[in-house]
Formats: sequence, C-alpha cells, structure tokens
Amino acid sequence: MKIVVCVKQVPDSDAALAVNADRTWIVDSGINFELNPYDRYALEEALRIKEAGEGEVVAVSLGPARAAQVLKTCLATGADRAIHLKDEAFQGGDPWANAQALAAAIRTVEPDLVLCGFQANDDTLAQTPVLLAEMLGMPHATGAMKIEKTDTGVRVARELEADRREVVDLPLPAVITVQTGINEPRYASIKGIMAAKRKEMKTPGPADLGIDPSQVGAAGSRLRFFDLAVPPKKEGGEVLTGSTEEIAVALVKRIRENTGVL
Amino acid sequence: MAGKILTVVETDAGRVRDYSYELVTLARELAQATGGTACAAVLGDDPVAAATQVAGHGVETVYAVKDPALAAYTADGWVAALKKLIADEGVEFVLFSHTPLGWDAAPRLSAVHGLPALTEVVAVEDGGKVWTRLMFNGKFQVKMSLEGTPAVVTVQKGAFAPCEEQGDGAVREVAAGLEPTALRQKYVETTSEPAEGKVDLASADIIVAGGRSLGSMEKFGIIKELADALGGQVGASRPVTDAGWLPHEHQVGSSGITVKPKLYIASGISGAIQHIVGMKQSGYIVAINKDKEAPIFEVADVCVIGDQFEIVPALTKAILEARGHG
Ligand SMILES: Cc1cc2nc3c(=O)[nH]c(=O)nc-3n(C[C@H](O)[C@H](O)[C@H](O)COP(=O)(O)OP(=O)(O)OC[C@H]3O[C@@H](n4cnc5c(N)ncnc54)[C@H](O)[C@@H]3O)c2cc1C
Ligand SMILES: Nc1ncnc2c1ncn2[C@@H]1O[C@H](COP(=O)(O)O)[C@@H](O)[C@H]1O
Repeated sequence: MKIVVCVKQVPDSDAALAVNADRTWIVDSGINFELNPYDRYALEEALRIKEAGEGEVVAVSLGPARAAQVLKTCLATGADRAIHLKDEAFQGGDPWANAQALAAAIRTVEPDLVLCGFQANDDTLAQTPVLLAEMLGMPHATGAMKIEKTDTGVRVARELEADRREVVDLPLPAVITVQTGINEPRYASIKGIMAAKRKEMKTPGPADLGIDPSQVGAAGSRLRFFDLAVPPKKEGGEVLTGSTEEIAVALVKRIRENTGVL
Repeated sequence: MAGKILTVVETDAGRVRDYSYELVTLARELAQATGGTACAAVLGDDPVAAATQVAGHGVETVYAVKDPALAAYTADGWVAALKKLIADEGVEFVLFSHTPLGWDAAPRLSAVHGLPALTEVVAVEDGGKVWTRLMFNGKFQVKMSLEGTPAVVTVQKGAFAPCEEQGDGAVREVAAGLEPTALRQKYVETTSEPAEGKVDLASADIIVAGGRSLGSMEKFGIIKELADALGGQVGASRPVTDAGWLPHEHQVGSSGITVKPKLYIASGISGAIQHIVGMKQSGYIVAINKDKEAPIFEVADVCVIGDQFEIVPALTKAILEARGHG
C-alpha cells in the first residue's frame, strides 16, 4: 500500500507561549517545536501497515522552513520520502487553504490511504483531514483506535465517548485520522537518522502543483482568527504560597477542613 | 433573508442526548439575534418519536429525516441527507455537538459547500458573525469569523445550558432520498472496551491523578505514594495511559472515566477540556502545576504553582505525619 501521512510541526507541549502583536497567533520565535503528538501515532500506524505487506510511506507537511525538522524525524523513523510545502504562498492559511495545498501534493502521490492526526495541538481544529477527504473525493473516518486491512478496504474502530467504539468498513482510498494510544510509536534509531540523509525531500511550489496561489495560504482562507488571548479566569481558587514545607502543611489543613477524608 | 438555524440532534438508543438541548439553546439565541427561525433535524430509520421529544423545546419545526440507510451513523449518509435538507429549506447555520458524530460529519458537510467548519465553539456574538473557541489545549481563546454560508458549527459540550421545554413545534417527516450504494462507509457494530476491573475510580472518595509531565512510569511513583498515603486511588490524564504507564481504566476524562470523588488532586495535568469534563464535579480539587496559566487552575479550589517533584513528596510526608505514621 502507498500511504501518505500528513504531519504538522507544533509548539512543544511544554513551551511557554505568548500572543503576537496583532493577536492572531502566538509568537513563534524563541520556542521549541515538535512533531504533533497525534501525527506521531499516524506515522507509526502507516509504518506498521507498510511493514505488514509492502509499499511506501510518504510524509507530507505544510509549514515554514523550520517544519523540515518534523519531516526529517519522519524519514529517520522509517518514512520513505517527504514533501514539504514551504513556499511562502502556502503559509498563514486556515484549514480550508491548507487542505487545498495538501490535496494537490497528495494527488501527485496517488495513495491508497491517507493517515492524519486527530487534531493539531496548536489550533486543535480537528478538521483539516476531513476537508482534505472531500477535496480528494475519498471517504473518511475520524478518531481511529484500530485500523485493519480487509478484502475490500479497511475496517476502522472509531473511538466514541466512555470506552465505546464504532466499527466501520471503508473502501480505499480513504482518509483516516488517528487517536493517540492506537499504537506505541517508535523513535528514530541512529541508523535511521543516517539513512534519512539519503532520502528524498521535495519542496514543490504552487506552480509545480498546478495551484492558483490565491487558493492557498492566507489568500485562500475563509476562516479569520483574531483577538487571541489568555481566557478570562473564572472565580478562582485560593493560591498557596510559601516554602514547599509550608505549602504541604497548608494543603493538609485545607484537605482536612474541606473534604472530611483525613 | 433571515434563514433557518438547524440543530442536528443526536440520539442514543432512541433517546435525545442532553447535548442536543444545549444546541437548541444556541439555536434560539441565534434565531432571536438574526430574525431567523430555530429548527432541528433528527436522522434515523425511525426518527419520529425523538423528533416529537425535541418539538416541545421551542423549535419551530423538527424535520424527521427518515431512511433505512440512516439506521446507524455514517458520514456519507448524514452529509447527503443534511445537504438536501439545507438546500430545500434555506438553512443559514447548522449546529452539531463536538462529539464523535459532530467532528466526523460537520467538516464534511461544510466542505461540500466549499467551506471550512467552525469547530468546538464555546460562545457566539453578533448574531453568529463572531465565534469564540479555545486553542493550544485551553491555554488561549480566539475569536473567529467565517466568510460564506451555511456556517457549519460544532459546539463544545456544556458550553450552553440545555433549553427548557417550551412551545409546541411541528414535526415534519421528510424523505432523505439516499442512494445506498453511494454511501461508502458501512456501519458494522458498536463495541465496549472490556475493563480489567481492578480499579473503580467512579466510586472512589479520593483520587490522586498525574499527567504526561511525570515523564516515565518510574517517576509516576510519587503519585502512587501520595495516593497510598491518603488511602486513595490513582488517576491519570490520557497521555499516561496512552504510554502504558497505567492501564486505560485509570484514565479520567471524556474518553475515559467520569469521576466525582470528595478529593481530587491533579498533579502536572494541564487541564485540557477533555480531562476537565471528567473531574470537574469532584468535591474538592487541588491542582499542582508549574505554569500559573494552566487551565486546570480554573476548576481548582486550591492552586499550587510549583514543581510537582518537590511538592508531591512533601505533601506525602505531611499527610503521613498528620496521620501519625510519619
Ligand atoms: C477526542 C479526545 C478525547 C480525549 N480524551 C481525554 C481523556 O479522556 N482524558 C484526558 O486526560 N485527556 C484526553 N484527551 C487529551 C487532552 O486533549 C490532552 O491532550 C491531555 O489531557 C493532556 O494531558 P496532560 O495534562 O497530562 O499533558 P499536557 O497537556 O502536556 O500538560 C502537562 C502539564 O504539566 C505541567 N508541568 C510540566 N512539568 C511540571 C512539573 N515539574 N511540575 C508541575 N507541573 C508540571 C505543564 O505546565 C503542563 O500544564 C482527549 C483528546 C481528544 C482530542
Ligand atoms: N500544515 C499541515 N501540514 C500537514 N498536515 C497537517 C497540517 N495541518 C493539519 N494537518 C493534519 O491534519 C490533522 C488535524 O489538524 P487540525 O485540523 O489543524 O486540527 C493533523 O494532525 C495533521 O495530520
């Protein structure tokens, strides 16, 4: 099977984030980035499906020059080649514009399966893959906790609430988003990191993909974001201060007075 | 032209889910602000009974969209049926809950209209021109607006109060007109994950929960020690069970267990909404986090801003001393 994995570079989970001057996004200088955790599971799933038969795993990412790092991670972990949509025209887009660009790149691959993360940890919009599926004319399923090959396509167990799952069959090609915990992602080996240096990383621009630049990036966006801010704090609880020991003693007192369990 | 505001109702074994009534509250608010009308759709092979339940909640018309192919949810089935309804009825806003059904169907329905969706909103202003949602796992909120109609929206559970019974709407049966061969997803079954049954967080009085930032199964030990000192159970955020540091049955949250202990201690847990919904009803909540902006502090009765690797062992010691074991 030929499998595309869509991966996004997002701020590291522990990065201290600040709002930018026009309050549309965060300040993205001076912080660390990582491969979106959900996408790490999608990559692992793609590698396992490939290893169970034969085929190719192609990692695709839309993002600025720094996003090459997450594609290098994918190549070092076992992806066969990568496509980086780093042209300026692709940047600053909403999920619609991003899906347009990703769809054009994915068409050049002609995959049997497109795997994505359930959501990106920065915008957490959880919709790019579904828009992408419509643009590619493929069926989709979101939140997979299990993907199995069948004679006619794939069988997907979608995670529902409270430990329930919904099992659906899909024909291929299809777009599937993956939940965390579906597998145990591997990390790149030294050998993998060396091998990655020889793997192909293409960087097509809009003209190479036959897209009109006005359909992608900020120009092609239909959703506008503004007034990014720290949410107003609700009537907050008490903040304890002092030395570690003082805090511990104060906590014991609060627990004793307020819970009846001590 | 003031259009219709359509609530997509979810049912579970024939019962209308509570979240759907939260959507009706929003639909009525939007109808008032725009001069439009609040209506709803129940999709199924036998939707009339559920549609009748919704009709008594202040919506003008409930469409009972009936088709054997809608007996179970599939993205293609829901999207095709709703696309037809939107075109026939002049719908301006389509409201889904941000649930496994909503996040699966809504972006596809917006995409067939050439648009992205407005996902996981928590508030609306200006007659549906401006929407608020959270980003970066609850660390920030952002406002957004969409160019084009219909606006397809998914709404975070609990963001609006469920509507009261009111009025007497009409139920209108409509045919979905589906072509079963055009539906690519085939529903197979709904299953439940078997639990090992070794812990029962749902009935625990004391839960000490740890998050991703504990870093490893070994370091998670400080959470277990505190739980033992208190005679409580151990809970966890999703990354902890994903990584296999603890079995899944310790996971608190929307895809885990909903708990309501007398005391919940959350250590190194950021407070993403999916975690919060599982523990916010706890009697007394203590949160320990090194980031003073962590969203978990919004639901905590006591906030400790600091390093869990210092605070948690010190608290364990203080508890043991207080109980006379120290
Ligand atoms: C459909 C869906 C369902 C989900 N279901 C669930 C669910 O049921 N339960 C659940 O928990 N999550 C669930 N999630 C995941 C959820 O969105 C979050 O990703 C998750 O809760 C984050 O876990 P965390 O707080 O441990 O990690 P993070 O969000 O990474 O937070 C780590 C926190 O630790 C703090 N920290 C770091 N070092 C220290 C230190 N030394 N001392 C003190 N604090 C420190 C940081 O400041 C940060 O706040 C779900 C997500 C989706 C999309
Ligand atoms: N810029 C991007 N480049 C590659 N993949 C992306 C990009 N944005 C989103 N995706 C994919 O879509 C998923 C959901 O993203 P989102 O809709 O932003 O929450 C991610 O986990 C990725 O798999």
